[in-house]
This record gives sequence, C-alpha cells and structure tokens, in this order.
Amino acid sequence: MSITLTKEKITATVKIITEYGGTGIFKCVQCGACSAVCPSIKAGFPVLCRLLIKKLLIGQLEEIIEEPSSWACQACCRCSEVCPQGVKPQEVVFAFRRFQANELAISTASTTSLIDLHATGHAAHTTTYRELRAGVGLPEQPPTTVSDAKGLQEVQTILENCLMGELGFY
Amino acid sequence: MGKIGVYVCHCGTNIAGVINIEALRQYAETLDDVTVARKDLFMCSDSGQEQIRRDIREGLVDRVVVAACTPRTHEAIFRSVCESAGLNKYLFEMANIRDQDSWVHSHDPEGATEKAKLVLASAVGKARWLQPLDDKFVEVTDAALVIGGGVSGCFAALELANMGHKTYLVEKDPSIGGVMAMLDKTFPTNDCSACILTPVMVDVAAHPNIELLTYSEVEHLEGFIGNFTVTVRRKQAYVDWQACTGCGDCAAACPAKADDEFNLGLNQRRAAYIQFPQAVPKKAVIDMNACINCAGRKIGTAPKINAKTGEPVLAPCEKACKAGAINRSLPRDAGGELLRLNVGSVVVAAGFRVMDKHNFPAYAPQSPNVISALQLERLISATGPTGGALLRPSDGGKCKTITFVSCVGSRDERHHTYCSGICCMYMIKQARLLKEKYPDLNIYMHFIDVRAGGKEYDEYYTGARRLGINIMRGKVGGLQTIPGDRLRVLAYDIDQLESVEIETDLVVLATAIEQPESSQKLARTLGLQLCGSGFFRELHPKLGPVETASRGIYIAGCCQGPKDIPYSVSQAKAAAAAAAVPLAQGRVRIDATLSEVDKELCSGCGICEPLCPYHAITRVERGGRKYAEINIAQCKGCGVCTAACPSDAIALHGCRDEQILAQIAALTA
Repeated sequence: MSITLTKEKITATVKIITEYGGTGIFKCVQCGACSAVCPSIKAGFPVLCRLLIKKLLIGQLEEIIEEPSSWACQACCRCSEVCPQGVKPQEVVFAFRRFQANELAISTASTTSLIDLHATGHAAHTTTYRELRAGVGLPEQPPTTVSDAKGLQEVQTILENCLMGELGFY
Repeated sequence: MGKIGVYVCHCGTNIAGVINIEALRQYAETLDDVTVARKDLFMCSDSGQEQIRRDIREGLVDRVVVAACTPRTHEAIFRSVCESAGLNKYLFEMANIRDQDSWVHSHDPEGATEKAKLVLASAVGKARWLQPLDDKFVEVTDAALVIGGGVSGCFAALELANMGHKTYLVEKDPSIGGVMAMLDKTFPTNDCSACILTPVMVDVAAHPNIELLTYSEVEHLEGFIGNFTVTVRRKQAYVDWQACTGCGDCAAACPAKADDEFNLGLNQRRAAYIQFPQAVPKKAVIDMNACINCAGRKIGTAPKINAKTGEPVLAPCEKACKAGAINRSLPRDAGGELLRLNVGSVVVAAGFRVMDKHNFPAYAPQSPNVISALQLERLISATGPTGGALLRPSDGGKCKTITFVSCVGSRDERHHTYCSGICCMYMIKQARLLKEKYPDLNIYMHFIDVRAGGKEYDEYYTGARRLGINIMRGKVGGLQTIPGDRLRVLAYDIDQLESVEIETDLVVLATAIEQPESSQKLARTLGLQLCGSGFFRELHPKLGPVETASRGIYIAGCCQGPKDIPYSVSQAKAAAAAAAVPLAQGRVRIDATLSEVDKELCSGCGICEPLCPYHAITRVERGGRKYAEINIAQCKGCGVCTAACPSDAIALHGCRDEQILAQIAALTA
C-alpha cells in the first residue's frame, strides 16, 4: 500500500504536534541518534523518536493513531540528550501521545497503567520497595498518594472528570 | 546642468517580476536633466552596455544612472562602460532596485515600484552633482608572505616563487608539511601522503625565491596592499640551526619526555626532538617546557667542572651533538627573535585542527580505545608509534573489530552546524586501507548519510562496499565501556528500523574540523573577518573565494572552510595567482572615492586621527602649522573623519555634502 502525500495533511499534522508541544519537529534531520539509545525501541516498540517524527512529517497522523509504541516511552529523555539538532524527540512523542489521548485512542497496552493510576496515583506501582524502605529506616509507604488518602482522592477526581473518564476504566 | 541618461534593468525576472519597469522608465523621463531613459532585459549584457556607450559617444548623455541589481557586483562593470566611451567613470551612479527593493518587497509590487521611483530619483539627484575624479596609484613591494606551511601554504609559496616573486613562508611548527604530513595515504587514489608531499616540501626549502621561516609566528601586520610591514617572531629552538645536521643524536640522548604532538599523544617524544622523520627543514629543537636541565645545565649558565678530570660536565644533548649545535652555556632569549619583513601581498593558509574526543562524553572519551580519525592515521602510518600496525592503544593488542562513527561535532548544533566535508571520504579511505591490510578485520561504519561528491569519490565509496565493509545508515547514539577494554556501540539501522548493538575493540571518531582559538588572534592581527563558524571570511562566496575584505590579503585551505587536499591545492594556487597580481603590476590602483583634507580649512585639532578605523590619518607639521594628512592607500572612504571634522575641512569624494543633500531632497520631495 502506497502512501499519498498531501500538503494539507502534512501541514495539519505538524500543526497539531507543534501545538501539543512537539515544537522541534521541523529541526529533525533523521540521523537516528535518538533511536540508537532509546530503551523502548530495544524493547520492540519501533515507532518512536526518528521513525515517529518521519511518519508525522509526511502527514501520517490518523493512520498511526492506534500505534502502541508511543505509550512505551519511558520519558528517560536520552533521545533529547543525544540529538544533534535540538529536536527534543521525547517532546514529540509526548505531543503525539497527547493527541492520541485526546482522541481517546489509548493503547490497550496502557489500560493497566491507567487503572493503576486511578487506584494508587501511580501509573506503575509495585510493593517491593516496602522492605527496602524499612531496611534504611524509612516509613514503609512513601509520602505520596499511596499513603495520602486525601491526595489520592484528588487525583481520582481529576481523572474521573477528564475526557479519559468516559472510557469507563475506573 | 548635465545630461543624465537613465538605464533601467529587468534583471530577467529578478526586478521585472516585481517592479513595473515601463512605469519606472516613464517616471525617469519626468525627472530634471534626464535626457534619455531606456530599459533592457539585462543592462550588463553586451547590447545593454553598447547602448550606454552609444548614448555617451553621440553626446546624448554625460552622466549615467543605472537602476539595477547592486553596486557590490556591478558598479565596477558600468564604470568601465563609461570609461570605455570616454566618460569619466565617476560620473556614474547606481540605483539599487534589486537587492534593496524587488528582492525584499516581492509581495508588494505596487509598493516596490513606488520605492524604485524614489531610489531612482535619489540617484538622479546625486548624479546631477557628480564630479570627475582621478584614480590614485601606489608603488608595490615585490615580495609576498605566506602564513602556514601545510600543503596549501607550500603550494601558494611555490606558485608565487615560480612567478619570480620573493616569498616568505612562515610556519609555527619546526617543520613545514602541516596535517597532510601526518596522513598515511590519501583518497581517492591511495597515494602515500609522505611520498607525494615530501618532494614538494623539499622544493619549497630549496627554491631560491622562498625564504623559509619555520618555528615562527606572525605577531603584527601593518600597512596596506603593496606595502605591508610584517613582524615575525622566530621562536627559540635552543639549537643552532646553522650547525644542526638533523642527525637526531640529541633526541636519542635526551631522557626527558613529553607527549608527541605529531602522533597526537599516542606516544611520547623527547624534550630535544625532530618533529618527524621527513621534516623540512630537518632541524632539532629543545622543548623547554619538558627539558629537565640535565647536569644542572640551565640555559646561559657555565657548566660545573668535574673535580677529578677537570672537564666541564655537559648535558647529554650537548655531548651527543657532533655538530656542536647545542651549547647550553650561551645565553638565549626565551622569546626568540623578531624579524621585520616588507611585502606587497599576503596569503593566509593557517590550516585547522580537529576537535578533541573529550568534547563528547557520550562517546566514552575516557577509553584509550576511542580515538580520533587523525590518531588512526598515525596508528596506521609507517612513521607512526606502532610502525603502521593496527594495535589497540590500551594494551597493544590486536583488533578484531573496528567501528567508525561519523559526524562527531559536525552537523550538530551543540558544536558545529556545518558539515566537515571530508570525514566520509577519509573514513572510507581508512576502512579500505585496513581491509586490504587485514582482510579478516570486521569493519562497521555508521553514517547519517555518505557524502562522496568529488571526482571519482563515489566510485571509491562503492568500492568500499564491495570489499565487504559494513556500512550502516544511522548516527551512533553512544558508546559504553565493557570488560576487556572493549566498547559497546549503541547504533541504529535506519533501513531496518532497529537499534543495533556492536561490541568492538577500537572506535574511531570523525571529530569535526574547526578553527583553533589562535585563529581569532591571527584574524585580529591581520585585520580579517571570521565567519560565524569561525573560519576566515572570503570577500564573496562565489566570485571572491580567495580574496578578503582587506585588499592584498588572500586566504587558502582549511582556514577558509573544511576541504580536502585537491580543493586545498586548487585554492592555494588560486590565492597565489590573486596575490601575484599587485606584485606583477608594480603599482596598485586606488579608488578615488576617498576622503581628502582641505589644508587651508584644517585647524590641526586632531579629532579625526583616533577616529579613523584604518589608521589612515596622521597629523603632520609643515610650514609652522599642523594639519591632518590621509594616507590614500589605507583610506577606505568610510567617511567617519568627514562627519567628525568640526571645521568641515574633510571632503569624502563621491559622497560630498551637495550630493547627499540632493539625494535627501529627492527622497523627501
């Protein structure tokens, strides 16, 4: 299947991504340094950094709206550190993710994280830290939503009142 | 009043695509004193020029105004048209309706046409007051200075010398040869660098018209085209070069060590050393920063006397020198000596440096097995620290895998935005040489893209693929050190959309070509401008590539921008040809649009003297009174003195008060 390039699609896509914060997208020269250090690409999520920017720059937006790769970004920002052109690829990934979220095109790979976020206030939550914390003389629970019921309720109120609340995860 | 001819140029569609040419031409006819108003598709073409000449010869016009592109490139052309038709060339004026109008107002044709009318009226207003002027001439010193003894400087000096001009070649290092002398072989023909360069170096040293000043630096330059006075510092070598035979016995005897600059720190040299085996001139120097003054032999002190033998106790270098070139008892000025040279023109071929790997923390600079590409040249050179064997710097072990990383510091807004231009090719060359020598060596090369745009360069690149060298598109993101002094390369294959990890023994970084800090000092010394990228700025990127904004000073080689050897040599020969022009002419023409002091009006107050940016003004005393005098060869006609003079005693020809006022009147009418 070939891709049809149109000026309108490219302009609209770049505008959306720029407005969502991916302001460096036009600086990209497709060198690939970002992708060389991306831990999520290593983990099998190819449409990140260089390849995501490439797709967006040819106006592919609706076509990749279900793409799960963006939800695998760990926000480590190594891409932005090594980028020779100041693109800040991580910002582009997040801009695309904001677009996906606003279109309610949230990857099924991320639903667990969203449910965890609602339940605990953390997208990724484990309990293995308790022993470690106790071992160095800290309270078992960190001073976050995990140990703050009022705080957790505030997070839940926000989540339930934003667009994603309509998805019925919580 | 005069008869003014107005000639409006279409400049193809450059002007006519925006400005209504016919409306402008008709408008010109309404201006006072305009006797002829014509238009042409290209006024600078043969037919356009001939039209102007015909009107002058037929007596229709005695002032010429051309409304066209820009005086920057075309003023001289139209002035000579006037001259060839018998009209004083300073009775010409240009209205800039392209660079300053059609190009900048391309979205507003009506506004641009109205502006063009004003610009034209202003030029016509000025033309009414133009006066004939005569060019001036100054005599020329028939000698040239070449700064830098790399391949560019060597060829510039040879060309000038072969044309019969006395040429001084100043090089900061003990030997000429520059970076090319450090290279193993050269692309795209794999000529041995030393084999093709050394005979050139010998020719330079032997040429009767060349005076070689190595281990020397230019400290000061004053004067102007045809008459520069240059101060050169000959650094202190602590060895009598008249006597030194270049045998190297002093270096063999010297126990003190320092990093070997020629091998880029891959090994050590002695404090007494000859820069490299095929050095020209082959003379020793003693590096006083590394010298340990054996036997207490500080320079300029008397030796101790051995109590038993009664003999003086000498340092090993002194004892070893059979030619008697090293005598540490002699007082020697650590600053060396200053020489003054008189030359008519200057070629700057000051070269470049490559960036140090320590600028790139992501590429594991702490590992000795991460080296720059120039270090690899030394590593594979027969005159290098390993005699040409590819051995790991960490332990001298063999390499099974080698990785090349391109664009390190080039095409990177954190360092240099420009492409260093030659890295793709020299990396491919290095890979090919290694593959031919070690067929089992695993070679990986990572490029953003391969730039092989020169003559026979792409064939050289495809040849590398055929040799089984692995070439991958995608910039390397980082290097990790792993046990065994090895490195893990974090790469990406754009074509496979996969990240790639390679474990390797040696990593070669193609670090960017750049200008050292010292070039800023040299630019200040010579009064030259640098580009934003730090390289010396040429007069015009296309039409004045070896000239500079300072007449009489020319540039060649990598100080002007990154380039390979063929391009450097071409530019060196071009710069030599340009530098020879004033020397061959014997005198140089000076534009008449200069400032002139009216001695009767000048009060000798001296306000103008320190204001002149070109040091062209001096106060002289004659007939019991002081007045300002302008050296016409140094004056650039900027007008600062004219504006500042409280007595109105300085006129700037070509921009006199009545001419400027007529322009203002036309613009504000």
